[in-house]
Amino acid sequence: MNTLLKVEKISVSFDGFKAINNLSYSIGKNELKAIIGPNGAGKTTFMDIITGQTKPDEGKVLFGERSVWLESDQKYQVVWDENLLMKSESQIALLGIGRKFQRPTVFELKTVFENLFISMKKNRNPFSVLFQKLNRDEKNLIENILGEISLKNEQDRIAGELSHGQKQWLEIGMLLTQEPKLLLIDEPAAGMTSNERRQTVEILKKLSADKSVIVVEHDMEFVKDLECEVTVLHEGSILSEGSIEHVSSNNEVIEVYLGR
Amino acid sequence: MTNSINDLLARHTLIFTIVVVIFSLFITFFSEPYGNGLISTSFVKTLGKTVCLCIIALAMDVVWGYCGILSLGHFAFFGLGGYMIGMWLMYERTAIIVQEAATNELLPLTETELSNAIGNQIFGVVGGYDIPSIWMFADSLGLQLILVIAVPGILAFIFGWLAFRSRVTGVYLSILTQALTLALSLYLFQNDSGLRGNNGLSGLQNIPGIEYLGQEIISIGFFWASCIFLIFIFLLFHSLMKSKFGLIITSIRDNETRVRFLGYNVEIYKLFIFVLTAIISSIAGALYYPQAGIINPAELAPIASIYLAVWVAIGGRGKLYGAIIGAAFVSLFSSWFTGGQAPDIPLGIFTIEWVNWWTVLLGFGFVIITIFSENGIIGFLRNIFVKEK
Repeated sequence: MNTLLKVEKISVSFDGFKAINNLSYSIGKNELKAIIGPNGAGKTTFMDIITGQTKPDEGKVLFGERSVWLESDQKYQVVWDENLLMKSESQIALLGIGRKFQRPTVFELKTVFENLFISMKKNRNPFSVLFQKLNRDEKNLIENILGEISLKNEQDRIAGELSHGQKQWLEIGMLLTQEPKLLLIDEPAAGMTSNERRQTVEILKKLSADKSVIVVEHDMEFVKDLECEVTVLHEGSILSEGSIEHVSSNNEVIEVYLGR
Repeated sequence: MTNSINDLLARHTLIFTIVVVIFSLFITFFSEPYGNGLISTSFVKTLGKTVCLCIIALAMDVVWGYCGILSLGHFAFFGLGGYMIGMWLMYERTAIIVQEAATNELLPLTETELSNAIGNQIFGVVGGYDIPSIWMFADSLGLQLILVIAVPGILAFIFGWLAFRSRVTGVYLSILTQALTLALSLYLFQNDSGLRGNNGLSGLQNIPGIEYLGQEIISIGFFWASCIFLIFIFLLFHSLMKSKFGLIITSIRDNETRVRFLGYNVEIYKLFIFVLTAIISSIAGALYYPQAGIINPAELAPIASIYLAVWVAIGGRGKLYGAIIGAAFVSLFSSWFTGGQAPDIPLGIFTIEWVNWWTVLLGFGFVIITIFSENGIIGFLRNIFVKEK
């Protein structure tokens, strides 16, 4: 399997506090993975680093593995297309990394439809945007996505009026119109009813059919429903990795989670 | 968006255009040269100037109300526009006067003599007759008009690029823009700035080449030019803010980080708006100062830009109508009160003289309007309208 994102030995500290400590991580194409950990484990900082908001003190973040045939050596060589540490947030987003924030972050004063329209994958250059109009295909695409996130009937409502759970979905929908290769999803189930949770699990599973998805959660139950590989973060480094059963039977994990 | 909404919006701009045109015709038919003279030439000038202030208020509304950048420096661009056009007006007129005076001489003036005579006329007041190099294009209207756009455009571009790239936002950006304005104004106050120090440029109401028309006709001309430019800018901003570009601009105001994570280069968008509004402010200034007749560095002082923000806040930011109403309302009241026409109120031992007390009234008005209506007069009216429904 081709690796989409590779994080190598990153460390970052804030005023002497090591938020991330020598962390390595990778995710393949169309893979769904979860990261769990107690508060302060460094989950959000980890996402900040990938999306370019925080620069690590050391380490590498590489995106987009590619095999290149080397004529001279008569073999394939693995190359990485992008070193994310050299890029700004918007450049990273354009490469195909979408991010959902912990608190639902949508444009509250705009309609649901407009929110999706803004995030749609198109040329982001201001001079091009000046003349962009919505065509029929794009309208259909937005309508499909509205169906996927169960907001079809709300499309003309102001996003600020939506319920907390609906805002979470709208934000996921915005990521979908962006057509990213990798989705980073921070606490999608926070503040959701059990019904909404079930629907969210469905949405996330469907997403991983043609995208890589990293879900960050601290709710073990939700992660269990995702049925994917789980990484447990603790104090900025990986404590345990594997299936949810494997991870939850690990003594250290139990101590970190239940010992507090 | 449905068709009916589009129709309504199209009608919105149409209504605005019709109102401004009717207003201009109304003024013209009551003016001295074209009507019964009910409206004096000086009042036509006041109205023309007010229209220019409405234009810069529109620019301020876009940069602040729509894009969320509280710039306290846009009036500096307005002033720069005035200086740029003023240089041509003053130079050309002085050149004509000098040449006329020289017709009685036996020998025609040499190039140097002419230049010295013009220099002496313009810069004698600051003790010099050399024409500074920044006046090198002053004999060409076309080049000075290009400078009206280029000088504020380049200044706004450099400043904006540095500030936005370093992610300076909010109140810090406001302070920076204010510092820029103050620096510019202090520089212009110096006698060796090449722009006549605190004397500024004067006699700008006399337009070289068409002076024979008389002020009453020239004032109507400028009034119409200002109104047409106002309509043009309103339509421009209206369509810009209704487009996808406008959606992104208001999204930057509401949540800059989110826009960035959607892959938009927020800095470029802000820079675009900052430079565009600076240029429009400058053109408005270039229309304003020939009607005002005089420009001096005090016009560019930071307080003017703060007033600009107050107008937009009083009218209602985030709505183009709001900016126009705020600017027209406050600046007309301001000239009425400070012009000495408002009756003073005697309170026995103390008399309220509006010339001095107007700012107090304005301050109270500002506080009251912002307390009762977050969106200024427009928001207030809309509240009433919605309740009646």
